[in-house]
Amino acid sequence: MSTIHLQNLVKKFGDFTALKTMDLAIADGEFMALLGPSGCGKSTTMNMIAGMEEPTSGKILFGDRDMAGVPMGRRGVGFVFQNYAIFTHMSVRQNLAYGPKMRGAAKAEIDRRVGTIAEMLQLTPLLDRKADRLSVNILQRVAIGRSTIMEPAIFLLDEPLSNVDAAFRAVMRTELKQLQRQFRQTMVYVTHDQLEAMTMADRIAVMDHGILQQVGTPLEVYNDPANVFVARFIGAPGMNLLKGRPAESDRGLVIDLGPLGATPPLPAGIADTVRRARGEVFYGFRPEQVTLVESGSGLSMPVSFVERIGARTIVHLGEGETAVKAVFENDVGLAIGQTAVIAPAEPSVRVFDAAAGRAMRAG
Amino acid sequence: MSAVNVAISEDAMEAVLAKPALRDEGARLGFRLTLPAQILVLFIALFPLLMQLYISLTDWSPLSGFGWWSAWSLWNSFANYTDLAADARFWSALKRTAIVMIICVPAEFLLGLALATLFADEFPGKRIFYSILLMPMMVVPAVAGYMFFMLFQSGGPVNDILSAISGMPVTIAWLSDPTLALIAVMVADIWQWTPLMFLILLAGLVGVPEDQIKAATLLGANPWQRFVTIVLPKMKTIIIIALAIRVIENFKIFDTLYIMTGGGPGVATETISVYIYKVTTQDLIWGYVAAIALTILIVLSIAAVFAMKRMARAREMPV
Repeated sequence: MSTIHLQNLVKKFGDFTALKTMDLAIADGEFMALLGPSGCGKSTTMNMIAGMEEPTSGKILFGDRDMAGVPMGRRGVGFVFQNYAIFTHMSVRQNLAYGPKMRGAAKAEIDRRVGTIAEMLQLTPLLDRKADRLSVNILQRVAIGRSTIMEPAIFLLDEPLSNVDAAFRAVMRTELKQLQRQFRQTMVYVTHDQLEAMTMADRIAVMDHGILQQVGTPLEVYNDPANVFVARFIGAPGMNLLKGRPAESDRGLVIDLGPLGATPPLPAGIADTVRRARGEVFYGFRPEQVTLVESGSGLSMPVSFVERIGARTIVHLGEGETAVKAVFENDVGLAIGQTAVIAPAEPSVRVFDAAAGRAMRAG
Repeated sequence: MSAVNVAISEDAMEAVLAKPALRDEGARLGFRLTLPAQILVLFIALFPLLMQLYISLTDWSPLSGFGWWSAWSLWNSFANYTDLAADARFWSALKRTAIVMIICVPAEFLLGLALATLFADEFPGKRIFYSILLMPMMVVPAVAGYMFFMLFQSGGPVNDILSAISGMPVTIAWLSDPTLALIAVMVADIWQWTPLMFLILLAGLVGVPEDQIKAATLLGANPWQRFVTIVLPKMKTIIIIALAIRVIENFKIFDTLYIMTGGGPGVATETISVYIYKVTTQDLIWGYVAAIALTILIVLSIAAVFAMKRMARAREMPV
């Protein structure tokens, strides 16, 4: 087991900067997800941790050992590839035994370790099967077993579920999380799927354009996004953001949203911060935290579209700059063209500095 | 309503009934369309083969004074084949061909593999070196033969270079010495055909999944271990194909060699093709030539069948 420290990590490919700068501390035994859209630098970060690529500048520490110049075979890192990279010309047993064999372990020792790992991953009956016709979840287990047998302190997983169909992904997520509990390794998991990150990770590092946007537990990232990008990226659908100017009213500080009128008053703490900063802001609230209210006490908007997906109903309101989504548990009986009056639940309201894109917090 | 139904089902019945006839019609059309090609195959493969078999059982030669079709008058049963079994020059030519193959093909393979490994990575000037490397393959074999004939003259560039290296005048008569001539001939073959091996092996090498190589590296395999446990097994099929092509081609080695040495000095570089050529053009005993050629063809075919079987087995294992 080992901690991972990334310090001022930068990676450039010629003129292209894949990773602008990255500082991240991953605790011992932690499951950290690197989450972001494609091209955000998450895979580059992962490859540098694995030693497949050298950082342009900055440091990678495992515990207190600097990894600069340590070749990838010597880092004690387990790596699960996107397509698992199973050696298809070998049997499951040969795949599992590969690492110890290359390190020159004794035959008896290899057999013992393969036996233990196979038992743990329920691969024992499959040991002598050729590895080229196995189902994806077996492939995943072989890939994990093949790395685990080396007893790596750190486990890196590069979007292992992206080639799996949606139904099976849930099964594999559960299996993966259970395996992590079992092995208690430090795990870094790269994904563009927030559902995977939210359900499995202890903490999530959200990245975009080569910059680390926010690090936090899944709920922290969901509830208190650090900036506009995280607010929009996390959640399905993402947070609603409406541009407006702070304005005083007799009920307290509200945000004047122009044609939409004024918002309900902001909670006292955040109102002070917004009052001090002045300038344009984004008024943000989660689609799930919206209630329908009497006209006059909320934002009045036309319904532009209704998605009914069984358990939930997603109502699209307004359009263009002022488009908003609201998610209701039940079908609320709204039809296209009707006008809905919505009010965000007060504790879920977040305000962002429109110019800088940063969250404004109370105090 | 029901009438319409009946009509439809009658149509369907008709279609079903018509089917075998339709299939026959298709087969007939297919036969007619492929007929020209079938005739062509008959003439370029089957006919010469049968003709060869026929002539090989006679003493016929172009000097017999009548066409090959009348060769039955010179019927000698299997005399040509028994002669062949006792023909020391044939056996020594066959042995020499085997020696050339056993040395040239592995040399070309190893050089080609080494070059392919080198070219699988990026390095400055790769494209230029790549083009230069493929050039020998494009040279007409006869031209290559004359080129090496000149290179290996006793006053030629090869000796000049050896003189420069050793510091004393070297005047080796390469093509007049039985052993050295054979070496020179093999050098020419390796020079000309390593590029083909390189090209095929490079195609195989870049097809090895990079992820699996990375995975092996992460599991602690050193470059040599990666090569032996991942790269070579993945390249198995293409290696067998490359070797099969070169073994078959090398067995027929002729043009470059004939221009360089003419099979000489004496019979020192006489391979099976050169021997057949000499018997055909100088001795003019075509019945005997046919027997030699047919024997070689059968031996090569058996070897090819074995190679193909091996290949089919290798292909069952996907990469």
